[in-house]
Amino acid sequence: MSKKVLVVDDDPDVITFNVSVLEENGYSTLTARNGEEGLKKIKEEKPDLVILDVLMPKQSGIRLYRELKTDKALESTRVIILSGIAKKTFLRSQKALTEFGGGSVPEPEIYLEKPVEAEELAQAVKSIIG
Amino acid sequence: MKIEKLLFVTKFEELWFDALQSLLDLRMAGLNHVVFLNVIEREKVAMHRGTGYRKEEEVKFKEMANIRFIDWAEHLFEQGMEVGAYITVGNLVHQVISACEKEGVDLVVIGRPRQGKLEQIYSGSDVTEIIRRANIPVLVYKYLHPDAQHSERPFERPLLAMDGSPASLLSVKYLKGLKGVISEIHVMNVIEEKSLKSASGMTVQKARKEARSRLEAICDEFEGEGISAKPHVYAGKPVVEIEKAARECQCTLIVLGSSAKGSWKERFIGSTPEALSVKSIYPTLLIPPGDA
Repeated sequence: MSKKVLVVDDDPDVITFNVSVLEENGYSTLTARNGEEGLKKIKEEKPDLVILDVLMPKQSGIRLYRELKTDKALESTRVIILSGIAKKTFLRSQKALTEFGGGSVPEPEIYLEKPVEAEELAQAVKSIIG
Repeated sequence: MKIEKLLFVTKFEELWFDALQSLLDLRMAGLNHVVFLNVIEREKVAMHRGTGYRKEEEVKFKEMANIRFIDWAEHLFEQGMEVGAYITVGNLVHQVISACEKEGVDLVVIGRPRQGKLEQIYSGSDVTEIIRRANIPVLVYKYLHPDAQHSERPFERPLLAMDGSPASLLSVKYLKGLKGVISEIHVMNVIEEKSLKSASGMTVQKARKEARSRLEAICDEFEGEGISAKPHVYAGKPVVEIEKAARECQCTLIVLGSSAKGSWKERFIGSTPEALSVKSIYPTLLIPPGDA
């Protein structure tokens, strides 16, 4: 059975690109258009991997990532961040939220800054879930 | 009443990031989430004879907005704030109301309407329609306009124009929630010209005394919250007198109820709030009457 990857992004063009790369590489896909919808699908579908954007309506990837990594039931969810927001900003933001009293969260396994080539994305996915 | 989530509507020509930064004082009153909205007018990408829908134009405008929003978002994210963004093609009023509903924001910030030589930034009717349809406060910000009076801290010294309507009473409640952001508030009431037409000066003086007494009671409420407050009575045309009071009291913002009517449904914008939102040189915060 093929591994399941959830793409969380508000840009339909990015979703189309990611889904086509994933399907060409034999993965099955799910999509969500914002962090809130993404969290719901993670809980319902338990994907093997989440490809997560940062700047989105309703809930950002920063907050969704934090929810995943501070929840015992969800912390094992594998995540690749794919965003136009710089990795440095992502890490500073998480640090600020930790200082405001949130739990500390690990760095993302892989952080890709948009745009990425198909090969680079496929390689990153393969390196995490095979 | 808190301002935790704010919708910042920008066409970039009018409201830039420094305008948003000047509102970040609201963090002291609970602001922790900013949602950006950029609406690309349909006419900019609409079909023209022989060209069809101009997808390339849409991509260009969306990416231009995206580049700005990423830059702004990075700044806010690093301060531990939550940020979201919408870049859409369509009707401004519809997109603003739709974003308000989807996000459940507490305040809408929009630029001042004006007619440029080359392009219409926002039409007065768009702003009026947003104020009419939004069931939350709307701040018409006049940040970069050459005639505008603006402060680095717009909520520092608001002028609250009271008319006794449910919306203006709700404004009191709303501003009391901004303790820590407001350093001094000026509360005013305008005795309209028609009330001045009397055979006796005593009648006019009585009206002034009553108005002053009501304002003092409101000031006491603010003082009770630790916000310094001063009452002022003016007489004449409300639009003119409110603007005059804002200048005399060196205020940074005008706050008033958006309607003299209490009912939500079929609500009309009062002529005074409408005129001030469009014409005043001061940022104008319009508070709707609520569900009362």
